Amino acid sequence: MQFTVSQESIVRPLQLVCSIVERRATLPILSTILLRTHGQQLTMTSTDMELEMIATLPVAVEQEGKATVSARKFLDICRALPANATISFQAQDNKALVRAGKSRFSLSTLPSEDFPDSEGAHYTDEISLPQSALKSLLDETSFAMASQDVRYYLNGLLLEREDNILRAVATDGHRLALGSLSTTNTVDKKNSIIVPRKAILELGRLLNDSSDNVTIAFSQQQIKVELPDLHFTSKLIDGQFPNYQRVLPLGGDKEVIAERDKLKEALSRAAILSNDKHRSVRINLDTNLFKATVINQEQESAEEELVVEYSGAALEIAFNNAYLLDLLNAIPDEKVKMIFSDDNSSVLITPQDDKLERQYVVMPMRL
Amino acid sequence: MAHQRKIIHIDMDAFFASVEQRDKSEFRGKPLIVGGKPNARGVVAACSYEARKFGIHSAMPCSQAYRLCPSAIFVPPRFNVYREVSEQIRAVFWRYASEVEPLSLDEAYLDVSYTQDFNGSATYIAKAIKNDILSETQLVASAGVSYNKFLAKIASDMDKPDGLYVIKPDQALAFIEGLSIGKFHGIGPATESKMNKLGIHTGADLRAWNEQDLVKYFGKSGHHFFHISHGIDERAVQSTRKRKSVGKETTFQQDIQSILALRDHANSLSEQVWETLQSQKLTAKTLTLKVKYANFTQVTRSITHDSALDLMTIKSLLPRLLNRTEAGGIAVRLIGVSVSGFDTKPAKKAKQQLALGLGNVF
Repeated sequence: MQFTVSQESIVRPLQLVCSIVERRATLPILSTILLRTHGQQLTMTSTDMELEMIATLPVAVEQEGKATVSARKFLDICRALPANATISFQAQDNKALVRAGKSRFSLSTLPSEDFPDSEGAHYTDEISLPQSALKSLLDETSFAMASQDVRYYLNGLLLEREDNILRAVATDGHRLALGSLSTTNTVDKKNSIIVPRKAILELGRLLNDSSDNVTIAFSQQQIKVELPDLHFTSKLIDGQFPNYQRVLPLGGDKEVIAERDKLKEALSRAAILSNDKHRSVRINLDTNLFKATVINQEQESAEEELVVEYSGAALEIAFNNAYLLDLLNAIPDEKVKMIFSDDNSSVLITPQDDKLERQYVVMPMRL
Repeated sequence: MAHQRKIIHIDMDAFFASVEQRDKSEFRGKPLIVGGKPNARGVVAACSYEARKFGIHSAMPCSQAYRLCPSAIFVPPRFNVYREVSEQIRAVFWRYASEVEPLSLDEAYLDVSYTQDFNGSATYIAKAIKNDILSETQLVASAGVSYNKFLAKIASDMDKPDGLYVIKPDQALAFIEGLSIGKFHGIGPATESKMNKLGIHTGADLRAWNEQDLVKYFGKSGHHFFHISHGIDERAVQSTRKRKSVGKETTFQQDIQSILALRDHANSLSEQVWETLQSQKLTAKTLTLKVKYANFTQVTRSITHDSALDLMTIKSLLPRLLNRTEAGGIAVRLIGVSVSGFDTKPAKKAKQQLALGLGNVF
């Protein structure tokens, strides 16, 4: 196999493909990427057995074929070459020769037959939507995913389809984030999948704020995401996501409307002094007043007062401040609505004008 | 259902012997007995797993152990070292548990019901504790995980050494059914044989009995036996079962008649007691002197001070207490000094993140 390509055009797709390669792969072949040429195209494939990423780019193909090379070494070499360099790649026997200008690298290769094949899948639902919309949905929710939780089904994002809605739900057991968007197509039957955390984070990196289309497709075992020149599949988490509807609080009677920026700034300042594991902040509500207090172990204290719209009874409640800040970061809207009930019950936070398309639930702390 | 507790019982494997093998490479891989001398009257305090292969077990007379394995190495215990290690492992416990109830230097119950680490998975917490102990003391512990003390303790014994055994709530009854009665904590050899005579050999047999009959045969313990056979044990892990007293005593090699010599002994005991008080940051108001005469009869004399005792006060009070005994007239075999009546401050409640009601994870 032999091709030439400019440094500029290969580095970006190569970076994307290499991003899922495990640094300490269990099998040597998993630390490689598979290069294939056909027509005037190069496809580069990486996998960690859960995720698979395939980038396609035009190159000058001199000889069709395939080869595997160390992902990290090949990426580092390409990255270190000057931007205007023309890179020539030639694989023969069990060596790959990479040349550019006066640089020459001889890399070892592994048999390309050993590279894991991706499993075919039967995709039942396919959604096409602007990249920016999908990216917002992930940004709004993915921060609340659990990480390395023994409840393995929480270490991912629930994607749920119902009618023409695509809903995303994440929870780590202490807080929950829910977002949704409407799609052009409709499903007959409600169904859902859990996409692993790593795939969601990777996807968040691949997507940009453009209105270019992205296609996602679901099967029982896989999710597939198609971007221009990039094809991404991930296995799903086989498990039962908890019934999140059950934890969406109903019937809170203490409704607060606050300006999101001011609230976020006040809580961020108060957070400067919190140094315990729980990063606790005490909230006191009174008529049109929202007070946040942090007292740390050294008995230093921060107090922030904020004028809000509130006419309910006084309430004292404590939260992990980081949980509040995470969700405020995910809400771009000008005003947020917080509905409390008592100091032992969760708070529901939504953008003020939202018709429950985005909901955030946070459990308090017991002081 | 009431809140599901998560209890871990940690038991160090062959604790004293493992410490000796850790500190002295020449003991490793050999039958090692910590305790008395082979030809003396002492008993085995601990023995290495290599020694257990010969049928040696703790509390066995050393002479018998010697007969079973003449090549075994006998070493005297170094309690100061064990206590230090014990402090280390307790520090590990407190990292994870909201309550720690030590049963001895090498054994403790932990309540991790409210622990947030590993999202509250007691199994993972137990694993982490074992790892921490290993990396910080180079010693191996076994852990039992369950929802009460009774089952956690049995679990820790299930796959020793280096064990981690979990009895989940839904497995408990089946587990107890198959358990031989002698394995139940609180059922010693005497009770066991009495039960055997009644046809009770396993947990299932025990469960077939009703509470009144068990109480009829076994007295108060009958209630306990009834409950544990049903997997019920509501005893809390009590770290707040804080020491009620701090005391030191000494048995003399030869009985002592001289009141002055006794006063000296009492003074030096009070210094040790004072040291403990200080290290535990405790203050006490009541001072008690215990005297056992040569004829084994024993008396205690105590006095309560109206403010916290300090060492000077203790030393000034001791002669008065001693004068209220027959010491000096009758030879004394043992003397002990203890203080009690601690100032107890209410424990501060820890902050706690509440969980969404997604369902419990064990």
